Amino acid sequence: MKRLLGVALGILTAIGGFVDIGDLVTNAVVGSRFGLSLVWVVAVGVVGICLFANMSGRVAAASGRATFEVIRERLGPRAGLANLSASFLINLMTVTAEIGGVALALQLASSVHYLLWIPVAAVAVWLVIWRVKFSIMENVTGLLGLTLIVFAVALFLLKPDWGVLAGQALAPAVPDGETVPTYWYYAIALFGAAMTPYEVFFFSSGAVEEGWTVKDLVQSRLNVLVGFPLGGLLSVAIAGCAAVVLLPAGIAVTSLSQVILPVAEGAGKLGLAFVLVGVVAATFGAALETTLSSGYTLAQFFGWSWGKFRRPVQAARFHLAMIICLLVGLAVLATGVDPVLVTEYSVVFSAIALPLTYLPILIVSNDPQYMGQHVNGRAVNVLGMAYLVIILVASLAAIPLMIVTGAGS
Amino acid sequence: MILGDLLGTPVRDADGGRLGRVADVRFVLDGTPRQLMSEARVLGLVVSPHSAASFLGYERINLAQPWPLANLLRWRHRGSYLVLWEDIAMVGKDAVRLRPGFTRYSASLEDGGRQRAGDGK
Amino acid sequence: MTSPDLVPLPPVAGRILDAQLHLLDRQVLDTDGVPVTTVDDLELSGPALGEEIPVGTPAPVLDALLTGPVLGTRIFGGRPPSSRLIRIPWKDVADVGVVVRLGVRGGPLDAGWVERWVRDKIIARIPGGRHDPR
Repeated sequence: MKRLLGVALGILTAIGGFVDIGDLVTNAVVGSRFGLSLVWVVAVGVVGICLFANMSGRVAAASGRATFEVIRERLGPRAGLANLSASFLINLMTVTAEIGGVALALQLASSVHYLLWIPVAAVAVWLVIWRVKFSIMENVTGLLGLTLIVFAVALFLLKPDWGVLAGQALAPAVPDGETVPTYWYYAIALFGAAMTPYEVFFFSSGAVEEGWTVKDLVQSRLNVLVGFPLGGLLSVAIAGCAAVVLLPAGIAVTSLSQVILPVAEGAGKLGLAFVLVGVVAATFGAALETTLSSGYTLAQFFGWSWGKFRRPVQAARFHLAMIICLLVGLAVLATGVDPVLVTEYSVVFSAIALPLTYLPILIVSNDPQYMGQHVNGRAVNVLGMAYLVIILVASLAAIPLMIVTGAGS
Repeated sequence: MILGDLLGTPVRDADGGRLGRVADVRFVLDGTPRQLMSEARVLGLVVSPHSAASFLGYERINLAQPWPLANLLRWRHRGSYLVLWEDIAMVGKDAVRLRPGFTRYSASLEDGGRQRAGDGK
Repeated sequence: MTSPDLVPLPPVAGRILDAQLHLLDRQVLDTDGVPVTTVDDLELSGPALGEEIPVGTPAPVLDALLTGPVLGTRIFGGRPPSSRLIRIPWKDVADVGVVVRLGVRGGPLDAGWVERWVRDKIIARIPGGRHDPR
């Protein structure tokens, strides 16, 4: 019974933890401009993140080594440092976007300006990282994030023409008024939102935090393989809501209030309350994960002591690094830069940096020195190579498309 | 000396002909037993004629998966071999010079050294 | 290119370790499993640079694992003065696997001075810094 509860909890947290500010904004933007014609990308992204998380989780459980230790060891110091710089900067951008997201959601709930909420959000993130037990942090934010299911509820209550939505999803076409490069630019953005590298840093380091061994592999696989696809469905519901309400009205999403507008229309005040809780929980949870990830990547590259399971004094540089990251994020947000804009760029840069983390994990998960008998099976490797190609193509195409489309405008 | 200075250094034969670069330094733990592990003695240098870049772990061990990657990296590392310490005449700042008539040993760690230099082509 | 056949390596008495493959850039844990640093470079007992090695000279041995500023010079080139090298003597190494394990506690090692400084000057002074999260 306890074991079953553990499994259920793991899956629920994976669903609630899947969606972050990147998914919220990108799916809503895409829904409001392209309808459901890019849903296939969410599917490709979800399969990819399942594969990636499965491999990195297996490496962590079998060898006790988290992702960035492996990256440094395999790529050596030069390529490793280039990788660290790229991953760390993008992660910092995501930290900034998530804290901004928390503040924007709190502004919608309280009508106090979001700039005033930003220090509150950052201090709260730090306090949780400083004091709260890892598993409690994971479960509370994950479970509260589940309230985002209200997007799916709202979609039903909006009574859309399901035939039209299915048509958009199953026979994807570039809508009138949008260009082919823009379509593909947003395809890469959606892919990056689903396969953010920080999720993998966090997932593999979390496995070490919670002391996973190979015995926990079955449960971890279940969490990922069930939780992430259901999280992906939430993403689709967000896009669906935007496609039903915003696309016909000609509103292209540029703010968080527009992201949740369809929920208010479909599910009323109660729905609005739920969605606000959900957005705060999802962005706050992701702010924790990204902040921890910035500490994880640095500590693992340089070999520092790290982990929330240690007292802060036993992982001093790790905690100091996270404090500095939060301060930098605060400073960036204090300039008044639009967090939604930061988010839109961060998902594309995530897609650009993805091969850097993906390749070493793909290689090490085949190395018996690390994995013992738990090396990748043939099916995982075939899929793994297919995704290596997809990830490389997305990464190489992202910058040209960004220039050609003026970042999707 | 520092090992990082040795990695990537060009290797030349006794007549100054270019052979490749130092790809790795091999140790054998057969020295005086200390407290915990035996002393690690330099056995020799792994010389790679093509590239001294990292091979992501595919070098010298039978790691064949995922195959397109494994083959690519093995191919980049083709033709590498081990020269023993006894065959090293001088370690300079810009080059390692070998003694005349040095022996090329297999650098493989797993197949007992039966690998041919042309493997992986 | 047709390479000549390679001579199989005659059997050796001890375990074989390749620097790149088994040592460099690996995580170093102390005897309690606490991360200390990574292996940023290695120090050998010889040979002297640019000097002819007489036949029969005993092979150099691995003196120490190096860490600290040597990482920067390994990446960007150059060389820190010998006095600034932070050494972990090879005699303190207990095992080499996916990680390098030491047989001593990491606390008093030179390699830990930055960690100790950050701990004592900053982290320990913030309330709750010694709180056990478990």
